[in-house]
Amino acid sequence: MSAVAGWLDDFLRSAVVILEVLLVALAMCVTWGLLGAAAKLCKSRIAFRIATLYTTVFRGTPELLVLLIVYFGSAITLTGIAQVFDPEVKFVDIPPFWAGAFAISLVVGAYATETFRGAFLGVDVGQVEAARALGLGPVHTFFYVRLPQMWRLALPSFGNHMNSLIKDTSLISVIGLEEIMYTAEMATSVTNRPFTMYLVVALIYLAFTSVIVAGVWALERYANRHLETAR
Amino acid sequence: MSFDVSLVFASLPEIVGGIGVTVQLLVLSLLLGLVLAVATALMRISRIPLLAWPALAYVYVFRGTPILVQLFVIYYGLPQFAFIQESVLWPILREPYWCAIIAFTLNNGAYAAEILRGGIQGVDRGLHEAGRALGLSPRQRFIYVTAPIAVRLALPAYSNEMISLLKATALASTITMADVTGVARTIVAKTFAPYEIFISAALVYLAMTWLIQRAVALAERRASRYVRT
Repeated sequence: MSAVAGWLDDFLRSAVVILEVLLVALAMCVTWGLLGAAAKLCKSRIAFRIATLYTTVFRGTPELLVLLIVYFGSAITLTGIAQVFDPEVKFVDIPPFWAGAFAISLVVGAYATETFRGAFLGVDVGQVEAARALGLGPVHTFFYVRLPQMWRLALPSFGNHMNSLIKDTSLISVIGLEEIMYTAEMATSVTNRPFTMYLVVALIYLAFTSVIVAGVWALERYANRHLETAR
Repeated sequence: MSFDVSLVFASLPEIVGGIGVTVQLLVLSLLLGLVLAVATALMRISRIPLLAWPALAYVYVFRGTPILVQLFVIYYGLPQFAFIQESVLWPILREPYWCAIIAFTLNNGAYAAEILRGGIQGVDRGLHEAGRALGLSPRQRFIYVTAPIAVRLALPAYSNEMISLLKATALASTITMADVTGVARTIVAKTFAPYEIFISAALVYLAMTWLIQRAVALAERRASRYVRT
């Protein structure tokens, strides 16, 4: 393990990159999930069809392929646009950090759409009717009645989605983000100890997923505290 | 920049050629993973700690780490040890094909074990007791009462796992395999037409996902024929 000691600061720095990707992707993922669930639950047939197309495509396509399409696709489009203004330009891309976070959030957002949809449906209709009877508008009903009750139902599945997100960050090394897989590759090329280095990567990810599992467990207890005394 | 449809048609036969490798990776890992999952699930529900704990540790580690990392530990990592390069297994561990299958099997086994465990524990206790009342031995109760119902309960979640594994096989392209994604990446490197090629590859995966869903729907109908009136 002495070989690892010299690389600890690099692993630490790239683990922070992973954490940053996770936070950005999480925000995006929740956005796609809520938009998708809203589209699937609203009365518009077109919105429903678009959301269904979104979930079908992104739940059936490998994450790696989505990542490659987003990164190389956007790079070719941006380069094309840039060359209109300046023919000297060779290559323009979205930074791998943002392209990567966006790509994995699209995939996991498709799963979150189904989770959120189920959670919104799980909120008792009587609650929404009561809110209407009290004179709450749709916006107030959403934020004060629906949302506080649905997140409790969505939590267990959403914890799994967060674990998927953190594990999918490992793919972003394929498009050149300098995260822990990249650090392991660099460390291997110097020390010639691939097993040790990738084992460190595995342990870092295991730590991340363990923290998420523990965090979701604590949140679940908090969310269900009103049921505790009922037992 | 423009979307060249003719390029899609020109490259589609080549991409379809990668299906063979993808299907082999999928089917072999699914079968081996299922064997591993059954063993792990039985160990997990066992009351003997010496059986239950290793199973729990295996499931925890393989569900808690990315499959790409597992693949790299096996393919790039294992040759670090001289004894592996000298062992009888080296002709297998040297091949990206077998490394991919080992990684996918271990990963799928961990997820499927939890699904099977859920299925087994979801079987109504009353049925178990009825089996006992009829004088069935524990082994008979498991084979004739618990297992058929557990399979039906586990099927929907297991079909999601099959699709996850199909998507995971795309990672084999990172260790030089020429599966659907691998072939697509090679063509993109030559043509630099990522939209056309990668979207064609995505369509191949979507078609395969659809096939899996149809097949499982049929299996589900058959497994639950006793509940239909």
